[in-house]
Amino acid sequence: MNPLSLIRQFIKGLTAETTPGQIGAGIALGFLIGLMPKATLTAQLLIVVMMASKVNLPMAVFTVAIVSLLNPFIDKVTDPIGYALLTAEGLRPLWTKLYNTPVFPWTGFNNTVVPGGLVFGAAMLAPVYLGGKKFGAYYNDKLRVRVMNSKLVKSLKASWLLDWYFKEGV
Amino acid sequence: MRWSYVAPRLTLLVLVWAFFFFAFDPLLKWGMIKGIEKAAKAKAEIAEVETGFFPPRFKMTGVAVGDSSAEFANVVEFTEFSFAAEGGPLLEKKLVVDEGTLTGLRFGTPRKTSAKLPFVKEEEEESKLAAAMSAEAKNFALDRVGDVKTDLSADYKVEPEDLESVKLAKELEESYKTNYAGLAEKFDDGKYKADMDALKARYEKAKDEKNFIKQAKEYADIAKDAKKVMDAFKKDKAAAEAALAEAKGAFKKLEEARRRDQAAVMAKMKLPSLDTRSIGRMLAGPMIAEKTEQLMKWMAIAKKYMPAGTKGVLKNEAPRGREVHFPKEKTYPTVLIRKMQLTGELGLDQPLDYSGTIEGLTTQPQVYGRPTIAAIKGAKGPRRLDFRGSLDATGDLIRTDSRLSYSGMAIGAMSLGSPSSLSVAITGATGALEASAATEGDKVSGKAAFRLTGASFKPSAENIKAAQLRSAVESSFAGLTSALIEADISGTVTKPELSVRTDLADNLSKAFSSAMGAELKKAQDAAKAKVDEALKPYQDRLDSMASEKQAELSNKLKASGDRLSAEGESLLKGSSGKSPLDRLKF
Repeated sequence: MNPLSLIRQFIKGLTAETTPGQIGAGIALGFLIGLMPKATLTAQLLIVVMMASKVNLPMAVFTVAIVSLLNPFIDKVTDPIGYALLTAEGLRPLWTKLYNTPVFPWTGFNNTVVPGGLVFGAAMLAPVYLGGKKFGAYYNDKLRVRVMNSKLVKSLKASWLLDWYFKEGV
Repeated sequence: MRWSYVAPRLTLLVLVWAFFFFAFDPLLKWGMIKGIEKAAKAKAEIAEVETGFFPPRFKMTGVAVGDSSAEFANVVEFTEFSFAAEGGPLLEKKLVVDEGTLTGLRFGTPRKTSAKLPFVKEEEEESKLAAAMSAEAKNFALDRVGDVKTDLSADYKVEPEDLESVKLAKELEESYKTNYAGLAEKFDDGKYKADMDALKARYEKAKDEKNFIKQAKEYADIAKDAKKVMDAFKKDKAAAEAALAEAKGAFKKLEEARRRDQAAVMAKMKLPSLDTRSIGRMLAGPMIAEKTEQLMKWMAIAKKYMPAGTKGVLKNEAPRGREVHFPKEKTYPTVLIRKMQLTGELGLDQPLDYSGTIEGLTTQPQVYGRPTIAAIKGAKGPRRLDFRGSLDATGDLIRTDSRLSYSGMAIGAMSLGSPSSLSVAITGATGALEASAATEGDKVSGKAAFRLTGASFKPSAENIKAAQLRSAVESSFAGLTSALIEADISGTVTKPELSVRTDLADNLSKAFSSAMGAELKKAQDAAKAKVDEALKPYQDRLDSMASEKQAELSNKLKASGDRLSAEGESLLKGSSGKSPLDRLKF
């Protein structure tokens, strides 16, 4: 995805797909992606899912950025979980099989923070989604107009480059 | 589903497919040509590049790489190179080929168009070894032999600072001192003393142990550890002595340098050397040096592109989290061609067809764990070619070993020596070459024997003014039909050293001796004596320093050994007489 297209989707997301459910789903998916190391196939597949589904993109991208910044702290939780999973005797045949299967190593499954992040993210998905949904309602009610009228969004919308690139407008 | 996201990506997939179908091969061909041209610094041509994805395969045909030093020649040319890659390893970004084919491989072929690239700076690399040998042949003095009776040597003064042997003696002295200092520092007997003191302390402690079984066990352990200390000492002692002996072994080079100095002094005094080695170097040196330089140049290029001896692929740790590794059923190197079928032609006038295989071509030999082995054979009429070579880069040092046998080659015309002193034109000969070479890291060693049969030898001795000598030289080649030229190579890839011998030199030496007799010998002996006299103080200093240092180290080693033995003995005597330490003898 090129940066201009991302900005376009981002700005579009400020006005479209803004139901509380879509905002909640965007935050939940962003939370999960944020936990993953980005240079893995797992994170890239999740990003494709995020871009292809009708979740609220600005909230998802914002959550990815915030969670990525907090990774040094969150890793202290996800790393032991992942390590426990990867070193569990019962799961060893499965991991060995995956390790020797083409493409699978690209998912980074043998990195402790990937399985740890997936398990932790899955466990937190429902609470984060529900919290995000509540935040979505609050955002629509109190913040949306202020964000749309903010200087940053206005200047982005007024940019001739974006205007030329998007044609149909945002 | 957000179709505005999905649809463009599907379109992109179609475009990607179209790119690979229509544009990938021409672009790859263009990129490969540019890459080869950059490496070869000359024009390169590829007729066609063809790739396929199911199964993954590659083929390029009509490849010619120009020679940067010869405008209308190719350094290498081949008809086709093709392989099919294994799909599984490709998913791990590894190129593994079970069998590749390289056909029509030829070297030094002519080309119709210029191989010169615009804006490429020509590199004039002067071959030092070949230049030195040519100079030696050119300066080989034969023109004033008739004047030897006038005692030429009396006027000639030898400056020690100009002698190669004196320079080498100084270098050897310095390097010996450095080596010795390194050895003395490395051989630290303090650590053995500390180990032995620790054992003594343990022994004292064990004496007070009430539990007999524990005491016996501790005694046994102490005995075992004491033996370890002594073994380590013996090992270090042997290593130190061997290193010192090796350093002294380098002194042998001094003798070679002295011979060269003597030959050089005689050349400056315009006296021919009767030494067959010098004559051999004069005759065959330039030719062998040129071939050796070429070989070393190819080896240096090969070394440049040889994989580094590291297991870098195994050091890929993640910036976040920890990577847990599992047993790998198969580990592939980044690039591996298990077997390459090879065919081609050797020579241009009457090309010799050859074929063979190269096994285990890889960029990561340590991961593959096996050496690269080449076996090539060729035959045409009476000619026979047999080459076997191996390259082992699985360890810390890269080792190569190769043997070449090429017989029945027709030698149209070749020349030995130098027109400035004495040259020999050889025609109508049949040549047979037997060569072997090995390298270990930068070190190189090898030997070659080139036998000429059915030849006609025609000496060109116009520069020899003494009629008696000229006639002797000419008659020494009369009726001769065969010759043997032998060469030994040593030193390093970047600085090879050559030793050349030939039976032609024996003939010439005899001719010189019989023609000029005792006068020449006397003048030569005087010249040699001048070199020996100039070298003597330096050689004496070197020998006395080596003897002194060797004695010093031997005394130090002996003293350390005696002390350790004495301490071991005292440890034994201090025991109750029933401990296992009694059985320990130092």
